[in-house]
Amino acid sequence: MTVLLDISGVVAGYGAADEILKGVDLQVAEGELLAIIGPNGAGKSTLLKAVAGLLRLKSGGMRFEGEAIDTLPPRERARRGVALVLQEANVFPTMTVWENLEIGGFIERRGIRGRIDGLLARFPMLAEKRRHAARTLSGGQRQILAMAMALMVQPKLLLLDEPSAGLSPKAAEALFDSIAAIHAEGTTIAMVEQNALEALAIADRAAVLVDGRTALVGDAKTLAADPNVRRMFLGG
Amino acid sequence: MIGEVLQILVNGLLAGAQLAVPAIGFTTIYAVLRFPNFALAGHATIGAYAGVLANVAWGWPVGAALLAAFVVAGLVGVASDTLVLKRLRPSGSLTTAIGAAALGIVLENIIRFIFGNDPLGFDVPVLRDWRVSLGTAGGLRIGPQQVQAAAASIIVMAVLFAFLSFTSSGRMMRAVADNPTLAALKGIDADSVARRANFVAMGLAGFGGMLIGLDTSVDPLVGARVVLPVFAAAVLGGLGSIPGAVAGAFLIGIGEEMSTLVLDPSYRTAVGFVAILLVLTLRPRGLLGERAL
Repeated sequence: MTVLLDISGVVAGYGAADEILKGVDLQVAEGELLAIIGPNGAGKSTLLKAVAGLLRLKSGGMRFEGEAIDTLPPRERARRGVALVLQEANVFPTMTVWENLEIGGFIERRGIRGRIDGLLARFPMLAEKRRHAARTLSGGQRQILAMAMALMVQPKLLLLDEPSAGLSPKAAEALFDSIAAIHAEGTTIAMVEQNALEALAIADRAAVLVDGRTALVGDAKTLAADPNVRRMFLGG
Repeated sequence: MIGEVLQILVNGLLAGAQLAVPAIGFTTIYAVLRFPNFALAGHATIGAYAGVLANVAWGWPVGAALLAAFVVAGLVGVASDTLVLKRLRPSGSLTTAIGAAALGIVLENIIRFIFGNDPLGFDVPVLRDWRVSLGTAGGLRIGPQQVQAAAASIIVMAVLFAFLSFTSSGRMMRAVADNPTLAALKGIDADSVARRANFVAMGLAGFGGMLIGLDTSVDPLVGARVVLPVFAAAVLGGLGSIPGAVAGAFLIGIGEEMSTLVLDPSYRTAVGFVAILLVLTLRPRGLLGERAL
């Protein structure tokens, strides 16, 4: 497998004395969909923020396409193809859907109209709402918009933080279908998800984080079938 | 009595239109950089003096002098932010606000050192007030220069609206004001946006300073006199909201004029203090708060 992202011994947190990640080792292979699961407070979302550059590492390192990225600011990581879709506050609420997509494609402005048209064709709901402020969208619609914004730059690595959080079962199902379709087109995805069974159903591999450390990494279907993993992390 | 109230209303609207321009500048900085930039006072003064120089010393017409006031104050705003305020921002908004107040005093005294304390006037023709008859209710007196200043304010507000809505720079500023973390994730350079926001906001302060100078005269305290009503207008409308700043400016303008019905005119500045107290007590997010730019 070609390693796209290599995370080794990462320690990070939100304050000087605060360590959420206590030594994470993880690799994301090109073209795969990696599900990152684990109990609340394990550091899953923190790990994605560290990869996107929103947190500084206290120790350890990250290499993207073989190059160290751990000292780069978020915008430089974005330029290299890392796109994070946050769980909350993932759109610009007072800007229209169209303007959100435009800002989503900020780092590659050539051909931006064509890319917006392509995404509006792919997500007809966004086309209908393109002149509406993002704050008027429902939770599911905002998640779709947030993902579409990330797709505006055709990312090499798409990081999804709890994409189904707060969505109705129907909206979550539709969202997982969209994620599976994006992955099928060749986009590498690392997805943190509380809804672990659904995440494992569409993932190639999975990593289990426990207390800021990598506890298990393996084939998603194998982990989903493992009775110990099911008992400890998947609700039986 | 009706005529008197209408006169006060007209005066308040004209004063509010002038106040709106620097208030928009103040709220723009707050929306993008999250601190109240009291150095706006110094920049308004610099704009007023740049306008006087352009108009009186170089003979530029008022329109061109207003542009000079905008550009000079905007450039000084970028320089002062880069050299002073940017270094204070990591220490928090309170530290930066105090630093900005100190910077405003420094700028005011640099102007005082160069130009002295004597008031300066613009080279513009003195026009007689327009009189509008209201029949039995009396009549209105409207100063043409105040109307011109209000018209200039409205034009600059329309240009700013177009800038924020239809240009890439404007949309970047709105994105950072809306959600700075997400803006960084989308590749927007916060430093570049800060420079543009400072140029626009302090340019507006300079433009507003010259408008006020056109209405009265220009002295080193022209900015210091306006900073309280500007702050009150921004707080009243909701810090960070441009429509809020405009609404707040008109309300403060009208409120200051209305206060003269019951108070000595020298107490009119108390309206700003009262507005700030009431808003922070009853509705801290202001009239149109939580709406970035």
